Amino acid sequence: LGPKGTIKMLVGGAGDIKLTKDGNTLLKEMQIQNPTAIMIARTAVAQDDTSGDGTTSTVLFIGELMKMSERCIEEGTHPRFLVDGFEVAKKATLEFLETFKTPVVIGDQPDREILKMVARTTLRTKLYEGLADQLTDIVVNAVLCIRQSDQPIDLFMVEIMHMRHKFDVDTRLIEGLVLDHGSRHPDMKRRAENCYILTANVSLEYEKSEINAGFFYSNAEQREKMVTAERRQVDERVQKIIELKNKVCAGTDKNFVVINQKGIDPPSLDLLARAGIIALRRAKRRNMERLVLACGGEAINSVEGMTEDCLGWAGLVYEHVLGEEKYTFVENVKNPHSCTILIKGPNDHTIAQIKDAVRDGLRSVKNTVEDEAVVLGAGAFEMAARKHLIDNVKKTVKGRAQLGVGAFADALLVIPKTLAENSGLDTQDVIVSLENEHDRGLVVGLNHNTGEPVDPEMEGIYDNYSVKRQIVNSGPIIASQLLLVDEVIRAGRNMRKPT
Amino acid sequence: RQQLVAPPRSPREATGEMREVVTVQVGGFANFVGSHFWNFQDELLGLADDPAADAAFRTAPLDMDVLYRTGETLQGVSTYCPRLVSVGSRGSLGSLSSSGAPSLSSAASDQLNVTTWSGNVTRSVEKPHGRNLFLQSLTEQEPNPSTSNGGNNSQKSVEDKDLVECLEKDVNFWTDYTKVQYHPQSLYEMYGSWTDFDKFDNFGTAREVVSEWSLMEEMNEKLRFFVEECDHIQGIQFIVDDSGGFSSIAATYLENIADDYTNTPVLLYCVRDPVTHGSSRNQRDTITRSLHDAVSLSKLSSFCSLMVPIGLPSLSQSSLSPFLSIQDAKPFHSSAISAAAIHSVTVPFRLQNAGPASNIAHSSGNIDMRELVHIISDQGRQNMVTALDVAMPAPSLKDGNDLWNMKSLRTLTPEISDEEEDPYSVESLVVHGVLRAGGHRASISQVKDSVYSAYEGRATKPKFSHLSVSPCPLPIPLPFPSIFRSHIGQHGEILSNHAEGTQPKGSLDVESIPMAARLRSSNAVLPFIERRSLSLQKFGVARGSLGTQILRDWGFGREEMEDMSEHLSKMVRAFHPEGGLTSDSD
Repeated sequence: LGPKGTIKMLVGGAGDIKLTKDGNTLLKEMQIQNPTAIMIARTAVAQDDTSGDGTTSTVLFIGELMKMSERCIEEGTHPRFLVDGFEVAKKATLEFLETFKTPVVIGDQPDREILKMVARTTLRTKLYEGLADQLTDIVVNAVLCIRQSDQPIDLFMVEIMHMRHKFDVDTRLIEGLVLDHGSRHPDMKRRAENCYILTANVSLEYEKSEINAGFFYSNAEQREKMVTAERRQVDERVQKIIELKNKVCAGTDKNFVVINQKGIDPPSLDLLARAGIIALRRAKRRNMERLVLACGGEAINSVEGMTEDCLGWAGLVYEHVLGEEKYTFVENVKNPHSCTILIKGPNDHTIAQIKDAVRDGLRSVKNTVEDEAVVLGAGAFEMAARKHLIDNVKKTVKGRAQLGVGAFADALLVIPKTLAENSGLDTQDVIVSLENEHDRGLVVGLNHNTGEPVDPEMEGIYDNYSVKRQIVNSGPIIASQLLLVDEVIRAGRNMRKPT
Repeated sequence: RQQLVAPPRSPREATGEMREVVTVQVGGFANFVGSHFWNFQDELLGLADDPAADAAFRTAPLDMDVLYRTGETLQGVSTYCPRLVSVGSRGSLGSLSSSGAPSLSSAASDQLNVTTWSGNVTRSVEKPHGRNLFLQSLTEQEPNPSTSNGGNNSQKSVEDKDLVECLEKDVNFWTDYTKVQYHPQSLYEMYGSWTDFDKFDNFGTAREVVSEWSLMEEMNEKLRFFVEECDHIQGIQFIVDDSGGFSSIAATYLENIADDYTNTPVLLYCVRDPVTHGSSRNQRDTITRSLHDAVSLSKLSSFCSLMVPIGLPSLSQSSLSPFLSIQDAKPFHSSAISAAAIHSVTVPFRLQNAGPASNIAHSSGNIDMRELVHIISDQGRQNMVTALDVAMPAPSLKDGNDLWNMKSLRTLTPEISDEEEDPYSVESLVVHGVLRAGGHRASISQVKDSVYSAYEGRATKPKFSHLSVSPCPLPIPLPFPSIFRSHIGQHGEILSNHAEGTQPKGSLDVESIPMAARLRSSNAVLPFIERRSLSLQKFGVARGSLGTQILRDWGFGREEMEDMSEHLSKMVRAFHPEGGLTSDSD
């Protein structure tokens, strides 16, 4: 947890390496035997699925709730009271979160600074500072690029590609698309400017249809005729594309690129190459959607009735070859609503780790835009929420359920405690000094370098509202379930006692 | 009725255009089968260039480009690798890393720096899987092909004996006996978060894995890599271990393939390890198994062109046992048989057309996958579940009596009837590497004549049959299990004067095996389908039945259950003359 945690390098039996600081990845890697642990882990991964982060916090929080409960149960408290207390505390904490959160005005021109702060907070917990800061701009720009007013943000419209390269700092954002294949004809251009882009899902290959498989013909001549006819159909489709190209490009220095989801066979490639068209085949399905969002135009399913309006536009299309791997860059597009983050790293495990971090970064920005709020980080929220619970909420509860509220409040402290521990600080000192600041009415978090209280607002440390909400919500639910299940099992055991 | 007519050659085919096949393997046993399959191919590649090899391997080679691709590493070294996507559970690759390279030593991983983090690093290193003697010998081997004359010959054969022995004793992973270099895009390990792959034994257990979007996406991407570079793909051959959860993964994969490559035929082999046929412990288990089989058949058959179930409950007790001594408990053994049969089926896809004049000498009856699918599933009944029969080894032609022994074909498909006589059956027979009496390779025309007269001699002739012949036998690579009985000769001939009861022979004694394999669509497969159709109706669809809850747990609602049931009934109806027959019977 946090920017001072420990990164884990997992080496498998076959020497496969995985680097992670992400609780989610780690949990997926572990083979957990204990059923209780599996239950906690499942919750934590669900946390990641819904909000993209906070796995470690969830696990820590549930664990701490259980630890606090155990203490109470040993002293004779019935789990039911604790569960009731949790319920009250959870409700109160969520209400408190509503007043504590920092609203963010999104509108048409979102506050880029605050988005960057959130992204940076997330990324710095996964990557070293320099790299995290560089990626911060990339992920914020990527999300703002694909954001369209009145529509939910679809992070799939950010393509994440990787390339093997010496330095991880070469990772960059391409406003446009990078495809992981190239044209398949030696005469096609490898670089072209001012390109019309035709996004198509049309078969440009000769396929023997079912009835044409050869057994219903009385003679070879008849069959040959049929084959020729089929071939002609394909050629006609290609011809339609060439006609459109000639119409829009003739007499200009403009170029024409076909990106097809279906196949294009060598005779068709030949025809297209001769007409000066660059053609890519078997583009992945999701890229069809992305291409249209990046370049404009529309994806066509038939060559009939194609017009100039169907075409998209890119200022630059070029191919990059790495060994047998080819990449096609479609760049300098007009008004992109899709973009590509191109990750470069020296080896597979580094690439994979950066990729995970980028995904988390993107999620955090998306969450902020959708939540229209953030929460002060560095443990500030947890400190404040605890104080609120102890000072205001606990009194309103009658009887032993108070113990539940208390346990819940103390369990919240696990976040600042862990931050302190990871930084090699004395946890008790830290908690005491933070408490003092909060008692004086200051909202502070922990400076992981000095151990001193710090104002997270000044430092720009913000967490996602929805992530926090999810943690506060799911933690006590699981803890309660575990406590009550435990109770049922005990009851069963008692009943079987000989009388 | 049309019979025994070789398809007329289209002008395009006569130009000798190569048509690619992409292979997909999904699941534990499928990869065991695949490992043997690729070993055969690797052996063929070696033999084609080896002046000391049997002439049949050099003069009439199979076109390897159909299954292999030429590529280049980042360092610019050229490669020749299978066009393959292999999907397995995490950890199933043993000592092979998923990039296809032999694993890193643990010392090397200790020295790796973490460049993305400035804080603390902890390492958690799993105990590396040991590489057995055979795998060690692969990496040590210098590129000096068998110049094994004179003194070092004896020393070498002792070594080989050790290797064969080590494989007989200890094979845990399919990678333990693979000698093929795989492409980095080929191997995919599934990281199912909560899935315990040991208990991955029915259709429902894979639900969480399949629903994980990124997993299917990554599998699709791997396949796309290989399909994109094909100029004229003829089809996808898909091997699935359908005994457990992988069936569900394959079904989803197949559905995506049908979406993305609409007109590309998919030839699906459902393979099962004999050990998965174990007896059920209780009624719920029995019902779960029956439902799994029914759902698998319904789902898998929906998205492929031809489906070939392979996997007898026991090979050691089967009709193959007079020639082969197979230990059912060893997947290393049982997978070798399926692999040999699948190899034979692919032979016609790879026969080279050197033009009409020369094909008399070299091969006969090449067809591509689309034509095969068409022959089998559209000519007789609209049935796409096909039995696979194999003769391993195929018997020699007898001089004088030129009737080829059809009875030597033994089925590998479970739960089918022995009914041979079906006037509506459609067959495709492949015979390759068959010998004449005296140990000479039989000529193509001799084989054809002999097989044709065998067909003529049958009481009920099939409605249609196709024959492919090649002189090229099945090569037996070193890491092939020792499963041949002692009366099998060096070239797979059946010796008459053999000593009973000696040790089974392996790759050191047997160099090659003549093979015959037959795909057969006939009413023999009806019981296989009927049984599944009935169990879905009985346990699943009928109201208040025990299985409804199981199916619901697997994520199937009432409507989908009924759809699956209807799909199976339709498959059964294809066999009943009143509804199933095509009207245009020539």
